[in-house]
Amino acid sequence: MKYVIPILVVAAGVRIWLRMRSRAKRRAGGAPGGAAPGASGGVGGALATSPAARLVARVLDATGDVGLVARREVRERLRTRLFRISTLIVLLAVAAAVIIPVLTKGSTTPTRVGVVGTLSGPLRATVRITGAEVGGKVTVVPEASQAAAERALRAGRLDVALVDSRRLVVEKSLSPTDTSTTAEVVRALSETVALQAGLQGAGIPPLEAAELAHPRPLPIEALVAAPSKTKTTERTTETFGLIFTYVLLSQYGTWLIMGVIEEKSSRVAEVLLSTLRPRQLLAGKVIGIGTVAMLQAALIVAVALGLGAAVGSSLIHGAAPLALVASLVWVFLGYAFYCWVFAAGGSMADRQDQVQALAFPLMLPILFAYIYSLIELGAGSPSLLIKVLAYLPPTAPFAMPTLVGLGVATWWEFAISVGLSLVGIVLVARLASSIYYRAILRTGGRVHLRDVLRTELAPTVR
Amino acid sequence: MLELDGLVRRYGDVVALDSLTFTVPPGQVFGFLGPNGAGKTTAMRAVFGLVALEAGTVRWKGTVVSDRDRRRFGYMPEERGLYPGMKVGEQIEYLARLHGLSPADARTATVRWLERLGVAERSGDKIEALSLGNQQRVQLAAALVHEPELLVLDEPLSGLDPVGVDAVGSVLVEQARAGRGVLFSSHQLDLVEDLCESVAIIDRGHLVAHGPVEELTLGGQPRLVVRVAGDWAGQWATTLPGVTISRAEGGAVRLVLDGGTDPQDVLRAAMAAGTVEQFGFERRRLSEVFRESVA
Repeated sequence: MKYVIPILVVAAGVRIWLRMRSRAKRRAGGAPGGAAPGASGGVGGALATSPAARLVARVLDATGDVGLVARREVRERLRTRLFRISTLIVLLAVAAAVIIPVLTKGSTTPTRVGVVGTLSGPLRATVRITGAEVGGKVTVVPEASQAAAERALRAGRLDVALVDSRRLVVEKSLSPTDTSTTAEVVRALSETVALQAGLQGAGIPPLEAAELAHPRPLPIEALVAAPSKTKTTERTTETFGLIFTYVLLSQYGTWLIMGVIEEKSSRVAEVLLSTLRPRQLLAGKVIGIGTVAMLQAALIVAVALGLGAAVGSSLIHGAAPLALVASLVWVFLGYAFYCWVFAAGGSMADRQDQVQALAFPLMLPILFAYIYSLIELGAGSPSLLIKVLAYLPPTAPFAMPTLVGLGVATWWEFAISVGLSLVGIVLVARLASSIYYRAILRTGGRVHLRDVLRTELAPTVR
Repeated sequence: MLELDGLVRRYGDVVALDSLTFTVPPGQVFGFLGPNGAGKTTAMRAVFGLVALEAGTVRWKGTVVSDRDRRRFGYMPEERGLYPGMKVGEQIEYLARLHGLSPADARTATVRWLERLGVAERSGDKIEALSLGNQQRVQLAAALVHEPELLVLDEPLSGLDPVGVDAVGSVLVEQARAGRGVLFSSHQLDLVEDLCESVAIIDRGHLVAHGPVEELTLGGQPRLVVRVAGDWAGQWATTLPGVTISRAEGGAVRLVLDGGTDPQDVLRAAMAAGTVEQFGFERRRLSEVFRESVA
């Protein structure tokens, strides 16, 4: 029994692969007259040859007219130069955000300690541990004489010299305000080496002296917990997630509004609606642009995680990858909520130049939720307002990830917010599509909401 | 057969369709005429369910038009509708697919129709790069690509040069000969007269004349064209009772006879006035029928 599922999975995989291969062969052999494979049937563009895009095309194929509409959207969007360039820019920005912190972190050079005379084993260990304790790294360099050590200090090859375990020599005197790693290491060395040497001088064996010089510190309990290192990472990841959600929602919202206005102002909607139902046209558009949005979002997250793993970024430690994937969920829910609003907005315009005027009021809740969430995430502790916003479908895509980033959301709070968003999506879809159905064929000036809601529905909509 | 039965639609105080009723038989080119704002576009949109009717039904082959029927109709709206940034061939193929053609059939039909309408070499260009005349041809290809059983074309001849008019006209006639219904509206009445077998004329949403062009132009008072040698102004006819001179042109006089006037009496009067060089009955022009109907 336990082998049944793996066998089924393998069999299904082989079947899909065989079908893809036979279709590819048919296309290659069955396109006389120079018709490019995929020129009309495929999703086209850069992703046309990838199995993922073919799978998307196949799923959309299976959905009839809605699938046809959606496929046209996917093909036309992937083909635009604007899309390719903007994807490239976003990916470069993501790569920079992942790689640069790692590079700057890795650039801290170890403090070089020159040793004149002999250094006992325990004392050598103390020197190293001291460096580690203050957050730096220590390299011990043997020097033949104090003169040689001083030359090395002047030449910048050493940061500090320890002479006969009794004196520390630096090039310039340390300012009390100098908090560089080197200065901290020098100060710590001056205390611990002296303590350990003193203990050894008092007859305590070197090993015990080393232990006494480095007592195990008492645990410190705070009444208010400081943000842990992983929490900080999560907050960074969530900030990244918020920016990512905002960029995608505003980009694809604008695309939807422009796409609907294009169909309405060019009157192609009338040709399409002579054979399609408005709900098929609307659903196809929303699904098509949504597919492109999710493909791009998944690509961005995959690149962020892949690069993070490759360069050892903090992005892939702890709960951060999960937070990144969770932001995909919110991009999806945010799109599913706002796509209807933007489509309805587009249907009320009459000309392309009305895009900005219509998009701005629709963008306001997104903009508000985004900026407020960034502020809250920066402040570190959630306000009551953000806790409320986390359950409202228009603001949840930003507010709930903020609570997650602050570490104050439980899984069931997350689930409730998702559930409320789903309910909100159904309601807004119904309202917005009824506006769309009434407004899409009304031409001759911008349509006003109160007129639309009073308009009777054409028979194809009923 | 397409039947429009008692269609009513008002926009506020404006009556767009006022119990409009007429039928479009298959196998004929059927002209749909009326002054601007008479309700032609509203009636055509009603065929596709794009207008919320207050009353009336549109039937196809005896039953109320369904979505399935509409898939087999071809539509060319008055304000042309194509994606400006999409390639011509892909656009026609896409519309063919929406009308239920398989990918292979859609491709073949697209190539065939673009060739037939003389825009095959523009297949890879975007619509916005085409001249208005060529855009019009592409729009017609979009209405025809799925071999519709009924064509509904709103002003398909406007904006076309004479060559374009001939090309479109021959396609319409060919479609009708193949047994399909062809309903088209136009303001170019002379063209309509040459192309159409039947017409419907509407005014203020109401049907004012309907039937074969032959019958409509023969109807009304009898008309004669008579030419008497030497009498350029048609003086001989001015004193004839029951006869009105509608026009005198190049010596030929167009006469409208009252109901009781015998054409033979007119012939005798002409012969008495001089040598009769031309004598014949004349039909009304469709433009006259139109003017009389909507007056």
